[in-house]
Amino acid sequence: MNGAEQILNAFHRHSIDTVFGYPGGCIMPLYDALVDDVSVEHVLCRHEQGCALAADGYARASGRLGVCIATSGPGATNLITGVANAHRDSIPMLVITGQVPSGLIGTDAFQETDVLGMTLGIVKHSYLVTDAADIPDVMEQAIALATSGRPGPVWIDIPKDVLLQTSRARATPESSPESCTPPDLSDAIAMLHAARRPLLYSGGGISLAHCEDSFRRFAQVSALPAVVTLKGIGNAGKHHPDNLGMLGMHGSRAANRAVEECDLLLVVGARLDDRATGKLDEFATNARIIHIDADAAEINKLRTADLSLRGELSRILDGLADTLSARPLMINDWRQQCRQWHTTGGFSAADNDEPLSPITGPAFIRQLSRITSDQTVIACDVGQHQMWVAQHYEFDHPRHHLTSGGLGTMGFGLPAAIGAQFAARHSTVINVTGDGSFMMNAQELATIRRYRLPVKIIVMDNQCLGMVRQQQELFYNNRESQINLDDNPDFVAMARAFDIPALHIERTDQVRRGIQTILAYDGPMLLHVAISREENVWPIVKPGASNLEMIDESRASHHRKEQIA
Amino acid sequence: MTFQKQGASTPRFTLNCRMAYEAAALERLCQVVRIRGFRVARMAVERVDDQLDIQLILEGTRSIEMLKSQLEKLHTVAEVTLPRQPEAVGERERATLASV
Repeated sequence: MNGAEQILNAFHRHSIDTVFGYPGGCIMPLYDALVDDVSVEHVLCRHEQGCALAADGYARASGRLGVCIATSGPGATNLITGVANAHRDSIPMLVITGQVPSGLIGTDAFQETDVLGMTLGIVKHSYLVTDAADIPDVMEQAIALATSGRPGPVWIDIPKDVLLQTSRARATPESSPESCTPPDLSDAIAMLHAARRPLLYSGGGISLAHCEDSFRRFAQVSALPAVVTLKGIGNAGKHHPDNLGMLGMHGSRAANRAVEECDLLLVVGARLDDRATGKLDEFATNARIIHIDADAAEINKLRTADLSLRGELSRILDGLADTLSARPLMINDWRQQCRQWHTTGGFSAADNDEPLSPITGPAFIRQLSRITSDQTVIACDVGQHQMWVAQHYEFDHPRHHLTSGGLGTMGFGLPAAIGAQFAARHSTVINVTGDGSFMMNAQELATIRRYRLPVKIIVMDNQCLGMVRQQQELFYNNRESQINLDDNPDFVAMARAFDIPALHIERTDQVRRGIQTILAYDGPMLLHVAISREENVWPIVKPGASNLEMIDESRASHHRKEQIA
Repeated sequence: MTFQKQGASTPRFTLNCRMAYEAAALERLCQVVRIRGFRVARMAVERVDDQLDIQLILEGTRSIEMLKSQLEKLHTVAEVTLPRQPEAVGERERATLASV
C-alpha cells in the first residue's frame, strides 16, 4: 500500500466520505488512488480557496471534520485564506497538500513553497511527512487533534515521493478522547445566587462542543437573561423569552445595556473578542466574571475572571442546571427589566408597506426569516448584509448560521453554502451575499452547476463596499475611498451563463414573490436584490470605542457634524 | 519582525520549554513568542533524545503567564516553566538584543 492509499485508508476508518479539492502535480498520487475509491466523494471546486471554505462550511453545518486537498505551491497558498478562516473560528478541518519530492525540497523546485513554515500561525498543528510508514499515525493524530478540545485546522504536507512510497500497513492505535475531571461547581452556584443582575453570555463554543441541548436546558432552568456573540446566534433557540440577541459593535442596544448593568457575567464558550466587547476597559465594569471554556488559554486572556471553569461544557452546564433546578435563582425584577429593554431596544426594522418603495436590507432579511423554515441554513458573506442577517434573521440553531466571525473573509458565503449543502443534502441552503463578497468566489457557481446543488443565492447589491462606505461616512468625514462598484457585471446574466436561473427585484412589492420563487424552484437559483447605496447598519459602535457609545440612525447626523467640526 | 521600541524598564523573563524534536519546532515556538508580544534576548537549545530543552530570555510588557498558556497549547510542547521573576532590561543588554 502506498502513501496515498494509506490516506484513503484513514478516511475510511473515520467515515470521511466527502472531501473538497483541486488536483495538481505533486498531489497526483492521491488523485490516482481516488479513481478506484468509491466510498469517498471528491468535490472539485474551481479554486483552492473555494475548497477550503467549502470544507469549512461542511464542518460548520454538520459538526463533522471538513477535509480539503490541494497540490504544492500555488495550490497550497490558495488554501491559506480558507484555513486561516477555520483557525480563527475553531473549525475542525484536515488539510492535505502535496509537496515537491523530498530530494527537491529546498532547491526552489517548480511549485515549491515552504508550506509548513508559512502556515504555522494559522493551524492548530501541522506535519511534514517524510516516510510513508508514518502516514497512518499522522492521520490518526491529525484527525484527533482537529476534532478534540478546541477544534481547529491541522495541515499535513506530503512530498510526492512519500505519497508513492510503498510501506507495510500496520495497526493504528485507537485514539481516545481527552478526559478531565469535572470542576467543582459550588463557587459558581454561590456566585449566581449572590448576584442580583446575572447575565448569560454565550458564543461559538456551544456548537463547537456539541452541547446545544445542555446549553438550552441550562438557559431554561436558570432563566438568566442572555446575550450572544455573532457566532453564538441561535444558541438559545428563537423562542427563548429572555434572549436579548447579539451584543457588541452591531449588537442591540438592549444587549449592550444589559452587559453594562449586570453584576455577574457568565461567559460560556466565548473569548471576549473586541468586536463583542468594544473598549475592554469599559466593558461590564460592574460585573464579576465566571468564564467557562474548553481552552485554558482563553481564560484571563483579555479580562481576568473571578472564577474560571475549564472542561467539557456539557457536563458543566448539566451540573449547573441540576443544582439550579432544585434551588432557582430569584431574579424576577432583573428579568423584567431586561425584557423591557428588549422591547424598546431590540433590533427593529419597520416593514415598509409602500409597494413601490425601494427594498431595505433589514426589512428584506426579516421577510426572508418569516418565509423560510426553521431548518434553513444561511451562509453569509462579510459586510452589511452579514450584520443584517445577524440582527434580523431569527435562527433556531447555531449550525444554521454560517458566518465568518473571526477572520471576516469576504467570499466565504458561496463556497460555505456548497459545503453546507453536501452536509445537509435535503435542507434549504441560502447564501446571502453582497455584491463585493459575491465577486470574491463567483467561480464556484460552476461547482453548483456541476453537482446540481439546489443552493439559493441572494445578492444584496448596493453597488459599493457598503460597510467600508458606512465607516468612511461616519468616521472619516464621508471621504469615500475605493468603495465604488457601480460597474458590477449583470449578475442575472452572469448566473444564467452558469446555467443558473436568476431574478432581479428592486421594489418592496416584489420581495415576497421573489423569495418564494427561488425557494420553490427545484435547483439552484439566484435572486438579485437592488438596495440603496446609502443604507447603513444600525446601531454601530466606532471601532475601539465603548459599547456604551452606540450610534444609531437618529444620532448619526449629530455624529457627522462632530466629525466635520 | 514588528518593530517594537523597548523602554528602559521593559520586563525581562526567563522561560523554559521542553518540546518534541521535529520539523519546524523552533519556528513554531518563536512565532508564538513574537505574535504574543515578546522578543527573544537570548536563546539556548539542547537536544536530549527526541526532545528539545529550550531556555529563553524574553522581553515584553504583556503577561508572561498568557504566553505560557499559549505555548502550552502547542501540540508538541511537553512543559513550560517560568523559573524567575521579571527584571528591567539594562541599556547595554538592549543594544545586543537579537530578534527572530
